[in-house]
Amino acid sequence: MIRTLCSILVACLLAFVCLAQTPPAPQGARAVLRLRVRVKVGDSTKGLSRKRFFLTKGSLEQNKSMVETIERRPVISRDCYYRSAGASEALVKWLKENDCESVYCREIQPDDIEGTGAVPEFLAAMLAGEQEFGSRELARKWLTVNLPEKLRSGFYKARQSDLQSSIKQAEETSAAKVLSVMTDRNGTAYFTNLEPGTYTLSNILATEIGETVAIWNCEVQVKQDDRAFEKPFLVSNRKDKNVKCVAIEKPLPVCESAPK
Amino acid sequence: MKTRSRLHFSMRLLIGGSIVALALGLIVHGSQRQRRRPAQKTQGTTNSAHIDYSRFSHATRKHQGACNTCHKIPTDNWKKVRDFPDVADYPGHDACVSCHRPQFFKGAKPIICSVCHSKVSPRDDARFAFRKPATPRQFLIEFPHNKHQDVIARMFRPFSTEERPRFLGASFTYSSAIADDKTKHYNNCEICHISRTTAPVAPATGWPDAFVPDAATFKAAPTNHAACFNCHWKSQAPTNENCAGCHKLADKAFFAVDTPNRLSLKFRHAREQHVAECTSCHISITKAATLRGLQPDVPITSCTECHNKDGLRLDVSRELEAIDKNRDFVCSYCHTSDIGHLDPPASHYLIAGREPMKRKDVK
Repeated sequence: MIRTLCSILVACLLAFVCLAQTPPAPQGARAVLRLRVRVKVGDSTKGLSRKRFFLTKGSLEQNKSMVETIERRPVISRDCYYRSAGASEALVKWLKENDCESVYCREIQPDDIEGTGAVPEFLAAMLAGEQEFGSRELARKWLTVNLPEKLRSGFYKARQSDLQSSIKQAEETSAAKVLSVMTDRNGTAYFTNLEPGTYTLSNILATEIGETVAIWNCEVQVKQDDRAFEKPFLVSNRKDKNVKCVAIEKPLPVCESAPK
Repeated sequence: MKTRSRLHFSMRLLIGGSIVALALGLIVHGSQRQRRRPAQKTQGTTNSAHIDYSRFSHATRKHQGACNTCHKIPTDNWKKVRDFPDVADYPGHDACVSCHRPQFFKGAKPIICSVCHSKVSPRDDARFAFRKPATPRQFLIEFPHNKHQDVIARMFRPFSTEERPRFLGASFTYSSAIADDKTKHYNNCEICHISRTTAPVAPATGWPDAFVPDAATFKAAPTNHAACFNCHWKSQAPTNENCAGCHKLADKAFFAVDTPNRLSLKFRHAREQHVAECTSCHISITKAATLRGLQPDVPITSCTECHNKDGLRLDVSRELEAIDKNRDFVCSYCHTSDIGHLDPPASHYLIAGREPMKRKDVK
């Protein structure tokens, strides 16, 4: 009997000592969430680069209205937007070939202005610039300043308007600032300095992936001791045992008006 | 009798009240005069003798009108001194004379002329380079990295046949995505941040450990309007007439620091293995809405992908083990001694799979 009591006492003492050795989490400690966004098309997988993801305080249930708005929002595809804005087929092709959302994505080369694949909007803008600056080279480098606004930044602005309304909605619901980061070339992004808790991860604006669009809305638990070097939070468009956030995929919408 | 005493009481009350009111009025008036006095000193023309007219400040209230009241955009000389339209010269005389006529015609060599002119003489119109290089800066730059990152966004490109994964020779560099970027010259951070070509100026206290980093240790930052006007010359706000869209008057004039404050001074951006995309290491930059308050944002994981991998290199673990043996060991693989003598942060221990500790606890 005494032996049993002694061993229980020793076990309790050991447990106390062990627990006392565990350093207490510092007060107000912040955590890191590392995202890894991989997209599968056919049998190939690739990191989703240069795409913005947003983190809203609260669970999916708490952010239900925002999630519903995002999922119900009609998708404007890049091609449909530019066609409706009166872009030439050559410009639509240039954007597509260069994986660009806007004309700012890469420098416009002389071949893009004159030659077989020339874009008429680029030529018009360059001629206007040449008249203004007296230099063909400068006119090419500063070409975008002479493009019409709807072709220059219209697509970005249209998406920004949807984005800002969702962010406003999210911030009103969660009473906290919505955080955002952009993925790098490998599809990695970090949310740093996070308060531990439950969050909703979303891309808010549908992402074009080949012939489909993907929308991510997932719940994330951020723990106090989560750090950048632990396993990433895997985001994908396909289910897999390691994937923690799977997208809802929809086919790309058909453009309302056919190009002339 | 009663009526008389009541009248006396009312009179006393009236006189007393008047005295109190007068005293209060004097106090209030006095304090207002005191408050006004310094303003009169700075704004009035009567004290112009005390003003140093050899210095021009945008902080002076009368110098805070619309920028194009004085500055011409572009200036007439832009074709001579730049290869793009720019504000490349000081405002004309009209901008100053309208208020400063007395100072303009004071003596043979009016001091006010020395604000712009390197030689004060009616026969010489030589001016300092614009902006005057040796003077402190009066404006801070507002640049939202997040917006600019969004604008250069790209669509996802599914693999084409030739891009499908295949066996390649082993290398330290990242995947085929690099080849994509090189062949197509996508706009990225390098539009503004190319490799530095000039050696950085040493800090006032000198380089720690006399370790002099070469130019390519750092990336350059834009030093003129060329990097902005290519998109913002007109149409795309903030445009060239809206100087305040980017330039914010600082509370105090300051000298720009030429050398970035680095914790790992020995890291060289230009090293051939350091080819990852900027945002792979600078993890917070894509959310930065302003240049102010930017913090060091490169986590140790950015380095240890290569520098602390089993079977490859264990640079972090090795130095932590050296501290275990000698608490005064100075980490020197990445750091100079000003940083290397400090306690390694918890992140360094955790990445090496160890519990964080302090040097004082080393036995």
